[in-house]
Amino acid sequence: MKAIAVRIFATLSTLAVVAVLSAAGAKAVSKPAHVLEPDKLVILSTTDVKGKTSPCG
Amino acid sequence: MSTQYGQVLLVDNGGFFPEQDGYEDAAWFLMDAMKLLGVDAVGVSEKELRYGMSFLLANYKRTQLPLVCANLYERAGKKPLVAQYVIKKVGTVTVGIFGLTNNTVDLGPSRDSLVVEDPATAARRTVDELHKKGCTIVVLLSELGKVESEDLVTAVDGIDAVICGRNVPLLQKGRMIKQTIACYGGEQGQYIGRTVISLTPDRKLATGENDTFILGPEVGEKPEVLTLVKSFEDNFNDKLRKKEKEKALKQEQDRVNGGSTEQAADHYLGAEFCQRCHKAEYDQWKTTKHSRAWQTLVDAKKDANAECIGCHVVGYKLAGGFQTGDDAPKLGNVQCENCHGMGTQHDAYPKQSPRITAATCQKCHTSNTSPTFDFAVYEPHILHQVPAQMPDLPKSQARERMLGAGK
Repeated sequence: MKAIAVRIFATLSTLAVVAVLSAAGAKAVSKPAHVLEPDKLVILSTTDVKGKTSPCG
Repeated sequence: MSTQYGQVLLVDNGGFFPEQDGYEDAAWFLMDAMKLLGVDAVGVSEKELRYGMSFLLANYKRTQLPLVCANLYERAGKKPLVAQYVIKKVGTVTVGIFGLTNNTVDLGPSRDSLVVEDPATAARRTVDELHKKGCTIVVLLSELGKVESEDLVTAVDGIDAVICGRNVPLLQKGRMIKQTIACYGGEQGQYIGRTVISLTPDRKLATGENDTFILGPEVGEKPEVLTLVKSFEDNFNDKLRKKEKEKALKQEQDRVNGGSTEQAADHYLGAEFCQRCHKAEYDQWKTTKHSRAWQTLVDAKKDANAECIGCHVVGYKLAGGFQTGDDAPKLGNVQCENCHGMGTQHDAYPKQSPRITAATCQKCHTSNTSPTFDFAVYEPHILHQVPAQMPDLPKSQARERMLGAGK
């Protein structure tokens, strides 16, 4: 069973790696240039999950 | 997306607690899971109060999940129940995220302990405070409902993005409302909204766009989280099954002690009974997915989950219908009586056909459980007189996920 939480986690774990790399770069150089698209902010959202951890089947 | 964007926030609007009594385990597990996922902010609705304020607060304290709600207060002392907002520095942007809950709904067991402030008043105050604290982007997690969310961002300036929740219909594309980009619906964890805000040089909103995506099998998974979720679901299903049996046993004892040993006058008979007179139809039904619907729940370890069972058995929790897993041999699967009606009422069936319409199917094939459902495509697959040619059924997202998980 692929769980919904797992899927979101997978998407975000990749993003988190990017974010960590960006943060590491920012620490070293202290410039926003390490943000891949500094002119964009992305918001990923879920709503009304209603206790679902995976589909019924 | 991971290679395209560096500035990403993950939020949940709220409404993540289960809708059934006795499902507290799923509630705390989801709080743990969201914490593990690193969710940046989580809204609060009346659903999160259904097991009582103490339950929510205990798990809030335990998980340190960043719950936000700007208009929910403890009645005594007027103290905010949870944080009113969070401020996140995301790459080059300082983002303020706040939540609002609906002030017209019943707060259940917490109704005497909590008060909900007028959402617009709370929004104006919070937006002002976030701007003063240096936020150039303000995001609202709204559990107000669709129209109420739209009205609020129309009336209150300074909200750059709103995630609309609380029985909001799914719209695959969001839209701008004045200067606010709105994201709509996509509930039960099957969808994820993606709002992209283009920033001006001073890190404010220039434009925004939004799309909502179904979380299909193409979205990858993390093995350790899969193991965690699977382990939880297996244990939870076992626990539910045990509780269900205990409850059924008690009901049976009460019935016998009450002097009644007779079955309900009207009851479901099961497909094996129907086939005595309708053998050809029964044989055709055996070739359909409906005849295997119970097994899909067993395979998914959801055979004790009340939210799932109703669409995989006959007459769930109705008098004379499926009560517990013990009834599965007779009343498991989607059978004759799901579509045609209770067997003991056979004489009252209308004679004219067709009696099966899209509405019959849509009791279970909803936009959430069966987003690809189209009566014209699905109907030929259940007709007892099988057409020579049939359109292929779209792949079931749920089924694909299950099969994918087994690989």
